[in-house]
Amino acid sequence: MEWFVKRLGISVLLVWLVATIVFLAIYLVPGDPAELLLSQGGAAPDPAIVEDLRDQLGLNRPVLEQYLHSMAGLLRGDLGYSMMDGAPIAGEIAIRLPRTLELIGAAALISVLVGVSTGTLAAVGAGGVFDRIASALAGLGLAVPVFVIGTLAVLVFAQSLRLVPAGGFVPFAQDPAQHLTLLLMPAGTIAVGLSAIMFRVTRSAVLEVTVRDYVRTARAKGLSFRRILTRHILRNALIPVVTVLALNLGTLLGGTVLVEYVFNWPGLSGLLVDAVNGRDYPAVVGVVLVISILFVTLNFVVDMLYAVLDPRVRHG
Amino acid sequence: MRRLPWIPIVAVGLIVLAALAAPYVGLADPVAMDVAHRLAAPSAAHPLGQDEYGRDVLSRLIWGARTSLGIAFAAAAIACVVGTILGLVGGYVRGVAELLAVRSMDVVLCFPPLLLALLVVTLMGPGASTLIPVLAIVYLPSFTRVAYAGVLSVRGHEYVTAMKVLGAGRLRIMTRTILPNIAGPVLVQFSLAAASAVVLESGLSFLGLGVVPPAPSWGLMIGAARGTMVQAPLLLLWPCLALTVTILAMNSLCDGLRDVLDPHPAARRASWFSRFRRIAAPVVPEPAEPGTVLDVRGLTVAIGDPGDGKLAVRDVSFHVREGETLAIVGESGSGKSLMSLSAIGMVPAGVEVSGGTATMEGKDLLALPAAELRKLLGDRMAMIFQDPGSSLNPVHRVGSQIAEAIRAHRPVSRRAAMTQAVTLLRNVGIPDPERRAKAFPHELSGGMRQRVMIAMAIANGPRLLVADEPTTALDVTIQAQVLDLLASLKRDGGLGLLFITHSLPVVAEIADRVAVMYAGEILEEGPTAEIFADPRHPYTAALLRSAPKDDGPAPEGIPGTVPVPGDLPAGCVFAPRCDKRIDTCVKTRPPLFDIGPGRASRCIRWASL
Repeated sequence: MEWFVKRLGISVLLVWLVATIVFLAIYLVPGDPAELLLSQGGAAPDPAIVEDLRDQLGLNRPVLEQYLHSMAGLLRGDLGYSMMDGAPIAGEIAIRLPRTLELIGAAALISVLVGVSTGTLAAVGAGGVFDRIASALAGLGLAVPVFVIGTLAVLVFAQSLRLVPAGGFVPFAQDPAQHLTLLLMPAGTIAVGLSAIMFRVTRSAVLEVTVRDYVRTARAKGLSFRRILTRHILRNALIPVVTVLALNLGTLLGGTVLVEYVFNWPGLSGLLVDAVNGRDYPAVVGVVLVISILFVTLNFVVDMLYAVLDPRVRHG
Repeated sequence: MRRLPWIPIVAVGLIVLAALAAPYVGLADPVAMDVAHRLAAPSAAHPLGQDEYGRDVLSRLIWGARTSLGIAFAAAAIACVVGTILGLVGGYVRGVAELLAVRSMDVVLCFPPLLLALLVVTLMGPGASTLIPVLAIVYLPSFTRVAYAGVLSVRGHEYVTAMKVLGAGRLRIMTRTILPNIAGPVLVQFSLAAASAVVLESGLSFLGLGVVPPAPSWGLMIGAARGTMVQAPLLLLWPCLALTVTILAMNSLCDGLRDVLDPHPAARRASWFSRFRRIAAPVVPEPAEPGTVLDVRGLTVAIGDPGDGKLAVRDVSFHVREGETLAIVGESGSGKSLMSLSAIGMVPAGVEVSGGTATMEGKDLLALPAAELRKLLGDRMAMIFQDPGSSLNPVHRVGSQIAEAIRAHRPVSRRAAMTQAVTLLRNVGIPDPERRAKAFPHELSGGMRQRVMIAMAIANGPRLLVADEPTTALDVTIQAQVLDLLASLKRDGGLGLLFITHSLPVVAEIADRVAVMYAGEILEEGPTAEIFADPRHPYTAALLRSAPKDDGPAPEGIPGTVPVPGDLPAGCVFAPRCDKRIDTCVKTRPPLFDIGPGRASRCIRWASL
């Protein structure tokens, strides 16, 4: 319990730090932020417009006041308004975030199913034909960048074979079948690299655990191979596997940008790319903040999960 | 040390060379447009054709390598230098420096990398001059952590303390002593960061937020070719291929470097999994004497390939009777554990039984199909191991680990097995067994854990118990308690105990008979009292002299070390260390002489000792 409170405290502290840094980022860059945001291609922006932007972003007020104002807004769930269309940023994020999470969830599900099963098989037959082929494929899967996979998938499956649409989004409530079809390509694209990672961790964790003394004890008990594998080996190998999965899910929170772009998936990233292109600073800050907070939360959840998986953790 | 990964080194070298040579090999101008020939097929002037603005594709590919690798290596280098310094200072100076240098990195790690990059790009605008510092920040924490961890692990070593005693300054210690020691992991991290930076750079450029057009970059080329992928798919494939091959080469280089630098190679190809597939023709062994629990004859165990002739155990025969303890005693490395494990079919990874039989209840354990052997293991014969801390599964409660052993051999419900487990825990002397059954292994003391192991071993009432140094990891008072427990089990249950140890006082306390093992052979065998009073092999005598006694002379060590399998002396295996050696000892290997009722010795001079 004490341990739980401590972890929770650290997470809250990290969220506050992240929010502060994102707030301060605009001041860390040399030069006047408003001018910087408006300057395109080296031409000096109109002073009147710069003044307008300063006013709009509240840059005229004292830094401390701005900081307290933005922290108070964050607590209320108010992330400010977009510079492009004046819409509340929090509302836009609320619509798009579930789509991104759905994409990540589907990719994670595929990767765990594919990676853990093949990784276990490869470890059981380590050095054999399946192990070599799967290891080589995993190496390749790790080497191909996600946007290359996505682009090639569009070329092959959508343009040449015409099996699926090249991209897009339909709400689940409107057409469940079409929704899942459209989900398949982007989720599968992310899953290629993630499965390769899951494969590698599982394989090495299983090999690692296999030589432990307690597995020898399990053999000495006369347990069946299946039981040794599931209850003793996989159960312990799960600990590193979950760690790595969580780390990668965290990276994916920001890493779906490329896939959403390739497949026209209207998630959080689309908003982010548009905002970056349009130099819409409040929108960028809002998205970055939300994702970073999710990232910290995810790490907290993983720490909790550890305590469930590994009883030793609970005692520090 | 393993061999250097030459293939990836050469591949990465060629790509870097191509990038460096781009301006000097007479390539077409990578940004010169020729709209009249847009999407033109390959020709003599343009070997890979022309892109959507008529620019030369080959030239753009090679110049693209220059852009990608230049940005990636520059960013990785900055992160490497800054991060390593931060980690070194934080790890060595500690205190506030540690907080600032190392803990601050945890905050950077709160941002997913791509996101952090996008945040900075918004503020500073796209372009190579933004990308390099952005990527450097992204990879900074990993270098700091690697250096910090490295410093923490070496700063306590004797040679660092020695430098301090010699009066070397902090800076000198850090640069001269610690830095070379962490160079390996930092180098691996550098190649990882560079490879990852190539991916991130191309991704940002693909989105149009990285390298600014018309500069050539693989990411930009892929992004642009998407628009014309149906008319000109090759235009898309070339940069995809270049990017993938580059990253594949860099990743393989990382893996290779890691293998070379890692002092504990992960390659454990051989595993015991294959044992589960073993199906051998059953051999009908000669009938054993009544009352014999285990009868081992001519057991020979080979390490690695049996053809190599590295025999760790050679022609070992012994038997264990009901209600009797046979102690196998010998120095570390004598092969006693390997021999005992192999004798009951628990052959470890990387070794093969190449000869002999081990008979139990009329079955040869060495030839039994895996499924048959499994029925005997944990039921008719059980094991206790040296370190109860690592021999119990850390993630399961001890009660359920015992119940599992019962349920593997008896058709009982989970609940009934748990009740039995609690009874067993009580029988091995664990106080408050109901509560302890729900404990995890790490919540129990060492002595308590070994009692749990014993409870697990006797759960199904075995006829044979193999105990491999069961008291070595325990302190002396607990040792005595565990030995008493084993002795009472043997008395009451009539089981045969095969007890492996290097401790003569323990042998004296528990064993009825002793077999002295050395370099994979039994050198002497006989009843405990006789062996202790009248050893008939120089090695036994030397072992007895080396054991501390309360009232006798001071213990004497045995000079020299146990020979390793594959490098055995031609004659008697103990001859090189023996003070009674004669010429014959060095030339011919002696057989095991029968020297009286129940006694045997492998010394040709047994009669005159």
